Amino acid sequence: MRRLPEILVTWLLLAPAAVAGDDDHWAFRAPVRREPPAVERAASTRGAIDSFVLARLERHGLGLSPEAERTTLIRRLSLDLTGLPPAPAEVDDFLADGRPDALERLIDRLLASPHFGERWGRHWLDLARYADSNGYTRDNAREIWPYRDWVIDALNRDLPFDRFTIEQVAGDMVPGATPGQVIATGFHRNTLVNEEGGTDREEFRVEAVADRLATTGVVFLALTLNCARCHDHKYDPVSQQEYFELFAFLNSCDEPRVDAPTDEQLARGEVERRDAILERIRPLEAELEKLKKADKSDKADKPDGADQSESGADRAARERITARIKELRDSLPRIPTTLVMRERAKPRVTHVHVRGSFLDRGERVSPAVPGVLHSLRQRGETPDRLDLAHWLVDPSNPLTPRVAVNRVWQRLFGRGIVETENDFGTRGAAPTHPALLDWLAIELVGRQWSLKSMIREVVTSATYRQSSRRRPELDRVDPENRMIGRQTRLRMEAEIIRDSALTASGVLSRRIGGPSVHPPQPEGVFEFTQDIKPWPTERGADRFRRGMYTRFWRSSPYPALMVFDFPDSNVSCTRRPRSNTPLQALTLANDTTFVECAQILARRIAFSDAADDASRVRLAFRRCLAREPTAAERDRLLAVVRSQRERFAGAPEDAAALAGLANAGDAGTPAEDRHDAIELAAWTAVARVLLNLDEFVTRE
Amino acid sequence: MNRDGMSIEGRDDERLLLETRRHFFRRCGVGFGLAALVSLLERDGVVAREGPVAGPLAPRPPHHAARAKHVIFLFMAGGPSQLELFDYKPKLCELEGNVIPESYVEGKRFAFLEKTAKLLGTRRRFARHGQSGQQISELLPHLATIADDVAIVKSMVTDQFNHGPAKFFVNTGSPRFGMPSMGSWITYGIGSESSDLPGFVVLQSGPRGPRGGSANWGSGFLPSAYQGVPFRTRGVPILNLSSPAGVGATGQREFVDAVNDLNRLRLDATLDPEISSRIASYELAYRMQTSAPELMDIGGEPRETLELYGAEPGKASYANNCLLARRLVERGVRFVQLYHTDWDHHGNKGTDLGESLEKICAEVDRPTTALVRDLKRRGLLDDTIVVWGGEFGRTPQGEPRESLGRDHHPHAYAMWVAGGGFRPGITIGETDELGFYPVADRVHVHDLQATILHLLGLDHLRLTYRFQGRDFRLTDVGGEVVGGLLG
Repeated sequence: MRRLPEILVTWLLLAPAAVAGDDDHWAFRAPVRREPPAVERAASTRGAIDSFVLARLERHGLGLSPEAERTTLIRRLSLDLTGLPPAPAEVDDFLADGRPDALERLIDRLLASPHFGERWGRHWLDLARYADSNGYTRDNAREIWPYRDWVIDALNRDLPFDRFTIEQVAGDMVPGATPGQVIATGFHRNTLVNEEGGTDREEFRVEAVADRLATTGVVFLALTLNCARCHDHKYDPVSQQEYFELFAFLNSCDEPRVDAPTDEQLARGEVERRDAILERIRPLEAELEKLKKADKSDKADKPDGADQSESGADRAARERITARIKELRDSLPRIPTTLVMRERAKPRVTHVHVRGSFLDRGERVSPAVPGVLHSLRQRGETPDRLDLAHWLVDPSNPLTPRVAVNRVWQRLFGRGIVETENDFGTRGAAPTHPALLDWLAIELVGRQWSLKSMIREVVTSATYRQSSRRRPELDRVDPENRMIGRQTRLRMEAEIIRDSALTASGVLSRRIGGPSVHPPQPEGVFEFTQDIKPWPTERGADRFRRGMYTRFWRSSPYPALMVFDFPDSNVSCTRRPRSNTPLQALTLANDTTFVECAQILARRIAFSDAADDASRVRLAFRRCLAREPTAAERDRLLAVVRSQRERFAGAPEDAAALAGLANAGDAGTPAEDRHDAIELAAWTAVARVLLNLDEFVTRE
Repeated sequence: MNRDGMSIEGRDDERLLLETRRHFFRRCGVGFGLAALVSLLERDGVVAREGPVAGPLAPRPPHHAARAKHVIFLFMAGGPSQLELFDYKPKLCELEGNVIPESYVEGKRFAFLEKTAKLLGTRRRFARHGQSGQQISELLPHLATIADDVAIVKSMVTDQFNHGPAKFFVNTGSPRFGMPSMGSWITYGIGSESSDLPGFVVLQSGPRGPRGGSANWGSGFLPSAYQGVPFRTRGVPILNLSSPAGVGATGQREFVDAVNDLNRLRLDATLDPEISSRIASYELAYRMQTSAPELMDIGGEPRETLELYGAEPGKASYANNCLLARRLVERGVRFVQLYHTDWDHHGNKGTDLGESLEKICAEVDRPTTALVRDLKRRGLLDDTIVVWGGEFGRTPQGEPRESLGRDHHPHAYAMWVAGGGFRPGITIGETDELGFYPVADRVHVHDLQATILHLLGLDHLRLTYRFQGRDFRLTDVGGEVVGGLLG
């Protein structure tokens, strides 16, 4: 009680100009379709998006930036749509394609690529707080990658966003739910589980439900519902009672683990085979148990020190059965499992938690949606989670379509039309282009919620195609580029940096999905964790999988991801920061993965059929950055080749070490191999420089 | 950026000025080390201590005049028993074996304990020490010799009774996983004075890492530039600090020069100031490659100093870490956090209040005391805050396990602080006769956090960051500066 005045003082200090309970807030009103405005520089536009953007620029006497160079465009599109940089051959094809719709053809090819689902799936997994462990302090492993793969597949087949939403929130309740629809409910099983001794299970179950509600609010509605957990929302029209009415929708599920066999396993009948084996194990175990019991009662009958051992025959039988069980167990096919939601037959009773404490039960509440938003259409007498899922994507919902297209925009420009992509409430930022936002939202619904169609609409626009070069006259008026008078250079996401290095060196494994993998990580990662986690470093192709497949331990995440702002995956992440730190430099310069990439890239260059060093430099440069080097860039890299050759000629052991050739620096090495080592080392040094360039980690 | 930016000062209008400054650096920074030049100019007041060129860790002015510049947080992970170390309760000894009166435990939650658990008196002797007459147990004889330098708080209170959430609470002001830690908030607020080491460094000793792992020093929603950097005490201190085999110091310098020359060409082509930051990052990374190993090499310390701490070069120990803490602070690092495990004395074999407690006290007592003495004699204690304590204390009731032990107690426990403007030689707070609740000068975790920020020149109400629709701060919606602790 003593703290109450402080709280009041704090809220007074933070009090906004706006009054709480503003029902007339723009985001709570239905989007309005407005015709794209007329513009003076109509020749520079390609569609509605450009008219909306240009109209605003023209009010300040500005126009759009010129289109980026074609090499920049193909690299930007490849990275934005698939997360993989283009190979030099793809760039050549594109440059040679003189057809007027060459760019649209490129875009359609990229949208159809199976890597599209990985790229946009990973964006979604940020929101879904996906990870491979339980979190908190013990942080044991969990298996839920089938959900991750479901997301990738759903985006690849362009599952309409309304279905995408319904299946993740309540796929288990959809009539005749398919296994895939059940797996989709893993969305809300990405919550943390506290396994610390002495904890109250109910407390952390409630915590998980609260996280599900917070995530639902932020992901689909861009509302900070969790603000109303302890008291009425201070800024938005959501009362604490309404919070718990929403809570009630999510409060009635069990949290089972189910089989998620792969298609191949299903085809091979492995589930049936497993069940048959388990069926054979069961009687053997019963028999073993019986023998054990018999032995115990034998011992109890006999005085101490008398015959302690069972009869020889019994022992032999036990050993035989144990061996047989082990044999059968070893032959069990490994069927993946995944975590899902399952609605209880009888709903839990939900109460308001007074001041947010689950121990302090207030009034009893029933499932209902906040009064400020559109009404719920319930199927039965008591509304349930499936009704909530439908409500989220109801055509009269003013929020979800706007939130969804705003996210598309954010991924393609680095910032949403509403900058606070997780808060469309009264405290959030106003849209920079409200009419455009509404236009996109209405289009999304009109196009049967097709995300691919909306992404295509944006990336074919002149607005998207602009150069990202700074323009002083624009910077003077709009230093933060809110009017979008240019594209933005964006430091790439952590996993895309890794994927780019693997692609440039040509070792990327393009396998999609499956269990998470363990690429090399530096020594000492687990020195600071409660338990040492298993990390069987991959030796085969899995060493070079895309970054999104790296096993994610919440308490000790993969360092090369975290250093580039990968989300910690404890709560929904709607926007990653893009920091720029010396630890990033150390990672790119010295981490095993990046050094290996440099070594492999060096092999491709040094042993290519390029005629001279300048051609080799050009080859390496294009593999990393897609474009041609300028003369100054080429000369600087040639200087590296010369100086490193010279240095390594005098230090063959160093050459062998950097080139990754064990023993090649020994005195007994043939001259030819020594020459190769020096060449490889010099080109490794060049490759290393390229993989460390700002441009290499930047989408321009 | 600005919306999410520091609320310490908005600086939208400085942009053009920065542009010009960047241009200047671009032309003359070559070969000298851009960041070095910037910091030189900053120190001389030629340029303001702001802006992306100087990097996110550049020192920034605080809200008000600071008393302290650095923090060394000695985190005793697991929850040291205040009843064995600082809070002497003769009445508890008298009532040993009785069930605690129900009025104490009604409505309270414990991790393992039954409500009918019996009271347990301490087996340890206490005496008064120094001119201040501070009460300290026989388990900490070294600390007793600096009683006049420390301020003991006997009335600490936390909201959490499980290790993970309680650790997060002390470190981040919230029991949730993934909020920014104190060291992150502080380096976000005032940057760091070290130009070649991270601003927030974490060291670890004891049998295992602290529960909760990296979330304890994570930057949460703050940019990752502010997260704590764990220094390994064996082998290479920072992940990926060593250049690849075959590169060597010359090779690495040539590498950085080539990368930055090419980055400058791209900067000219794109005019994107982010490239300037990246150039500065590569320079700092390069310097860290030399300065971090040099820092970790305590072999050059005088024998007397090594003996003072009980430190042994090449060994991983709490003693070595204490000495490293001093060396980090000497080099301008803002926030140093040491974790020492494990103080979770429930009363099983290896976790009892007998030998186990004696052992860990012996590990910690001398090096801790040496650190305070060493800082003091070097004149560093005046502007370095030293904090000693864990995530909670231990119950007045004993736990019925194999041996003597106590459960987690969030309602009253002890920590001590020293230096950096804290008032030396005092005890704050008092508990009831069983040591169950504070009866005077209750100090909540948020109050301690507010006080530490205050001494660093930061107002805990104004050090905020906008996230998920509202301004967050280290002290959540609580916290009051503890006036009685200020010197």
